[in-house]
Amino acid sequence: MKMDEMARMAVDNLRKSRLRTFLTTLGVVIGIGALVSMVSFGTGMQKNVTETFLENDLFTSLQVLPAKADAERIRGQGRMPAGRPLSRPDSIALDAAAVEKIRTMPGVTVAFPEVRFPVKVAIEGREATTNARAMPSVMGGFKPFDKLQAGSFFESDTARSVIISPRLLRNMKFVLIEPDRPRKLTVEDTLKGFRSARPEELIGMPIDIVTSSVDFSQLMRNPVAALSGGSDLPFAERTTRLRIAGVAKQSDGFGQGLFESGVILPMQTAESLPRLGFSSVWDLLSRTGGTESYGTVYVRVKRMEDLAPLKKSLEDMGFGVVSIADQLEDFKKGFLVFDAVLGAVGTIALVVAALGIINTMVMSILERRREIGIMKAVGAGEGDIKGIFFVEAGVIGFAGGVFGLLLGWAVTRVANGIANIYIAREGGAHAELFYISPWLILGALVFSVGVSLAAGLYPAMRAASVNPVEALRHD
Amino acid sequence: MEPILQIRHLQKTYERGREHVRALSGVSFDVAEGEFVSIVGRSGCGKSTLLNIIGGLDVPSSGSVVVRGRNLAAMSRSELAGHRRSTVGMVFQSFNLIPSRTAVENVALPLAFSGVPRKNRPPKAARLLTGMGLKSRLNHVPSEMSGGEAQRVAVARALVNDPVLLLADEPTGNLDSRTAGEILDLLKALNRERGLTVVMVSHDEASARRVSHRLVRLLDGRIQAQVRLRRPA
Ligand SMILES: Nc1ncnc2c1ncn2[C@@H]1O[C@H](COP(=O)(O)OP(=O)(O)O)[C@@H](O)[C@H]1O
Ligand SMILES: [Mg+2]
Repeated sequence: MKMDEMARMAVDNLRKSRLRTFLTTLGVVIGIGALVSMVSFGTGMQKNVTETFLENDLFTSLQVLPAKADAERIRGQGRMPAGRPLSRPDSIALDAAAVEKIRTMPGVTVAFPEVRFPVKVAIEGREATTNARAMPSVMGGFKPFDKLQAGSFFESDTARSVIISPRLLRNMKFVLIEPDRPRKLTVEDTLKGFRSARPEELIGMPIDIVTSSVDFSQLMRNPVAALSGGSDLPFAERTTRLRIAGVAKQSDGFGQGLFESGVILPMQTAESLPRLGFSSVWDLLSRTGGTESYGTVYVRVKRMEDLAPLKKSLEDMGFGVVSIADQLEDFKKGFLVFDAVLGAVGTIALVVAALGIINTMVMSILERRREIGIMKAVGAGEGDIKGIFFVEAGVIGFAGGVFGLLLGWAVTRVANGIANIYIAREGGAHAELFYISPWLILGALVFSVGVSLAAGLYPAMRAASVNPVEALRHD
Repeated sequence: MEPILQIRHLQKTYERGREHVRALSGVSFDVAEGEFVSIVGRSGCGKSTLLNIIGGLDVPSSGSVVVRGRNLAAMSRSELAGHRRSTVGMVFQSFNLIPSRTAVENVALPLAFSGVPRKNRPPKAARLLTGMGLKSRLNHVPSEMSGGEAQRVAVARALVNDPVLLLADEPTGNLDSRTAGEILDLLKALNRERGLTVVMVSHDEASARRVSHRLVRLLDGRIQAQVRLRRPA
């Protein structure tokens, strides 16, 4: 008997016992649904991280550190030998001259010292603390600053203006009204002191930057107290009034903590502020040691391919180099484990479904023993009977796969919707947590049909071995 | 002329746990082409076992069954399926129609296994059924038919692949005497008009005598007697 003939008979049989077919298929649907939603969460997370990397040009960025040992310490691998002085005499100073040199190296488009310091900011008396970061105005031409939500990147390194992040605004109790997410303030919000604002309204508004500085001479007299955060340090606070030049884009939840600062200041403007260097203790100490060495220099290259050779030459020069692109590989390994765990949960669901198929089909063979006997009596070969049952399992698997994909999709939509309610409440941008890739669709179908066929193997063999004489005996 | 069916020293032993049940213990007889032979005997004497072995549903423990020169005892399982498909047609006491299928579908079923193109099957089934006076029942399922109608559908199914041998195991056992007579007349007509060889098992010797050329009487798995009633045409 031909394959299409078997398929026709199999579908006929399945149609005749609708309820049973439905319930068996439902088992597979749930199994595949679980698998798809789980795995799509894993791939969704991975996709988000990779996209965040791309969005922030992390594949073309690296950080230069004063010495190799330092880079290793940051990666958490090497250990500083005890008793070794922090400021090694042989270490090359990462000073203004070094930055100048790095700027001329092949592939480099931007290089600037990374300056980060804590500030208090205030707009119309609404205060918040954050990390400020200094950047040259050329960064306005690069992701993610090439597109702002409102306003524009500062034009010069001496501009008296800043770029502010939506997150910081939120901390200052501003609720941004966005075109795609119209949001009204609730009574509760108003009571808490929230105020709604369109991003454009904020452009040009004055913003106060409050910085702290330390009397270094006194610090050196009592360094232990300084490092242990003693309260007797002579901090001096100063307020500088700048203006808001632009509001940054909402970045999705993943970039926020890692790659974003609350407020970005032009390079020269930031240098002129009296402040406490905070990026590392190293920074603090090297400042006092006479030679001005930066803690970190941020470097951006033209193309991804420029990264590796540049890294090599910087390391040859004695600098430490960290590129987050390296860490993406570690991320990916982590995700592989994550996916495997999620996939395993889905697979267990599918194994249960497979047992359901075996159970249903064995039951159905018991019920259809006479019919099998009849088919044998009129000339059906064992291969024919096997084929019919095998195809039945395959059809259940395929239908289960298709509807399971639909179920999985529906589950991810609902879960994503719910998750975004919370994300929005926290002031984050809309995020897609799940990603159902074409490979996942194909894989789920193949897996569903494969597992179902495997489950149908034993029942099909049993059906083929039914003894027709016994099956047809009238009792 | 060579007999269409030659049975020699046929033995069949069933193993029921430790116990051995001898259903057939050395049966030998021939059936000529065009003959109508009835196997009679008490219940449990081995009639069905004999017929199932001839039909290729069961296999002998020893001895030979040669149908048209081919020994069933030497056939593989798939060859036996081929034998059931195209050499013999079987009719049972309990009809054994598939309940969810219509008369036409039931009759067309064997054609699916013998590779007849799908579009040719229902017409062939319908033609056979119409020839048996079932034109008004073509699309009825077995539960909507009388016993006599159902058994005629079963006969049509047995004939659809043009077998050389029709095997009927108590085909009238579930029917009232009038309907039983009609079925016997149908089998007789098939035998006489088409020259179809028929081997029938019957517990009703009187009716069997009316339609058969010969009786083979079994007793405890052996041939007790053979009775020649009339000569085949
Ligand atoms: N599958 C079987 N297992 C064990 N014994 C069987 C089996 N089939 C038939 N028998 C035994 O073989 C003998 C003949 O059975 P059967 O051919 O059905 O008799 P009949 O059809 O003449 O009534 C009986 O004693 C029956 O119990
Ligand atoms: Mg019997």
